[in-house]
Order: sequence, then C-alpha cells, then structure tokens
Amino acid sequence: MSRRASGLRAWLLQRISAIYIALFGLFFLFTMLLAAPESYQDWQRWIARPLMSLSMVIFFIALVTHAWVGIRDVIMDYVSTLSIRLLLLSLIGVILLGSLSAAIMALLSVR
Amino acid sequence: MVSMRFSIYRYDPDKDSQPYMKDYEIDGLETDMMLLDALKMIKAQDESLSFRHSCGEGVCGSDAVNINGSNGLACITPLSSLKTPVEVRPLPGQPVIRDLVVDMSQFYKQYRAVKPYLVVKDPMPEVEFRQSPEEREELDGLYECILCGCCSTACPSFWWNPDKFLGPAALLQACRFLSDSRDQATEERLDDLEDAYKLFRCHTIMNCAQVCPKGLNPTEAIGKIKQKMTKQLI
Repeated sequence: MSRRASGLRAWLLQRISAIYIALFGLFFLFTMLLAAPESYQDWQRWIARPLMSLSMVIFFIALVTHAWVGIRDVIMDYVSTLSIRLLLLSLIGVILLGSLSAAIMALLSVR
Repeated sequence: MVSMRFSIYRYDPDKDSQPYMKDYEIDGLETDMMLLDALKMIKAQDESLSFRHSCGEGVCGSDAVNINGSNGLACITPLSSLKTPVEVRPLPGQPVIRDLVVDMSQFYKQYRAVKPYLVVKDPMPEVEFRQSPEEREELDGLYECILCGCCSTACPSFWWNPDKFLGPAALLQACRFLSDSRDQATEERLDDLEDAYKLFRCHTIMNCAQVCPKGLNPTEAIGKIKQKMTKQLI
C-alpha cells in the first residue's frame, strides 16, 4: 500500500464499502423476507445468475475492505508496539484474504 | 452565601510519590460565582495549590481544567451548574507539572505543525488583502479558537497518539487557513495532512465539540478538510 493509500484512500474505501454493504444488506434482507429460495436447487439457481454472483463477489470484497480498514484503525489506536502491531495486522490480513478467497471460490463453484 | 465541597487533584512531583485527591470545604460562596472564584478561595486557604488563570472571562484560555469529568474553563463555569463534591483535575492525558498545571508542549507543537498563518506566494500587494463578506464568513466558527486545549485533551485519539495525531484544536486551525480566500498554500496544506495519523485518526467521537467552551465544532471542521481532500483527489 502506498503512502497515499493510508489516509484519504482508506477513509474513502471505508465510506464507499459501507454504502454498498448497507444497500446490498437491505436488498438481501428483503429478498429473504419476500421471496426466499425454498430448496437447495433454488438457492443455486438464485446465486448462479451472473448479476447476482457479481454483486455477491463485490459484496464480499466490500465487506473485507471495510473490515480491514476498521480493524486496522483499532490496532493503530491501541497497539503501539511495532512488532505486535505488525503481527496482528498480518494475522488479520491473512484471515480476511482467506475468508474472501473461500467466499469467492464457493460462489464460483455454483456456476 | 453557600458552602460547597471540592475534591482537587494534587500532585507535586518534588514531594509526592503519587497524585492524590484533596478535599476542601469552602464557605462564603455567592451563588453567581464561577469555579475560578472558588479555586482562588481554596488557594487563599491552602496556598500550596497551583493552577493557571489570567483573564478570568473565557478569553485567554489558560484555566482549562477537567471539571466533574468534563473539560472546561474554570472562569466561565458557574458553581451553580456543578454537582458537589466538585472534582477538579488537570486536563487529561497531558504530563502534570504540578496540581492542575499541565505541560502543553505537545499541544502547541501540533498547533505549529499546521502552519497557522497565511502563506502567500504572489508578490505582496501595495494595498490590503481584500475579502468579500462571503469569503470572510467562511472563517466563522474557525477563527474564534482560544487554544485552551479542552478539545484535544478530551479526544481519545489524541490520548493514544498525541505525537502523531494533530488533535481537534490544530485541525480546526488547519481548516481555518484552508478556508481563507487569501491563503495560497491549499494544496500543500492538504498534502501535508494526508497520512494515516495527522488527520485520519479522527473517528468522529465528537468529545471536542461537546467540551469546547467557545461552542466551536472541530469535528465539523475535520469533515470539511476531508471534503476538500476528496475534491482535490477527484
């Protein structure tokens, strides 16, 4: 991450991802309330639609980005020892990237 | 005439191994008195007590203290507004020199870091710098800061990173000079604030706006800076 990415870009990413997560979350909630897929096959068909899988992939990217900026903020505030901070940030990074890959692989396997 | 109980933070690094709270019972207070008047009466009773004060009317900003857990100026805090016993402590998060007197060096250092003066690159004009009333209005809510330090020392982000996060007072001043039509260093100022700490440790906690004795809103000013930065990026 470049030096310029650490301040304004991180903040903007947090805002933009928040908006997407909120909108997608609402859409998902209403879909589940009004027209929830009934069977496993319904679920697969629902998710396999190109627009649906694309918006889901974007959702998971937004979620991981948002979580990264937020957790990084907390660690920057409360963990001042550089070595522990580096360790925690790497750990969180691995967990988030791992989760994202798992989510995307699961979405791709439906196709 | 009323009497009130006070609990005052006491610490003399030469004598005390630890800070402690000392209780005082003060008689003969008038209902319209300010906390500063009471502190002066306590000092008359116990002259070892140290605190800063000067103008006594909320203009100089030297008697900022922590009153019942909230920062404010002793000279404009009416005694009638306070629950007893009134707990008076030094501004939080700052090194204590003695009793209620804190070392403000870090605070002033962050203030200096935002270049709190007009930067003009054009040759100096023969006449005054002209400003329209609208341009002048842009500075309202920004120029009134008296640098008492109530806001920055109430800010958790400033407590955690006082050396790297500029703090609400300095950022309010940064916004004041970014908003000035006569200043010609907008881009440099914005570039200078663009890192993970100086500005972006602000998490809009808004303690600053809550405690400001002049009723200013540093959080809003920080938001304005973020807007200006975003505009510059796009």
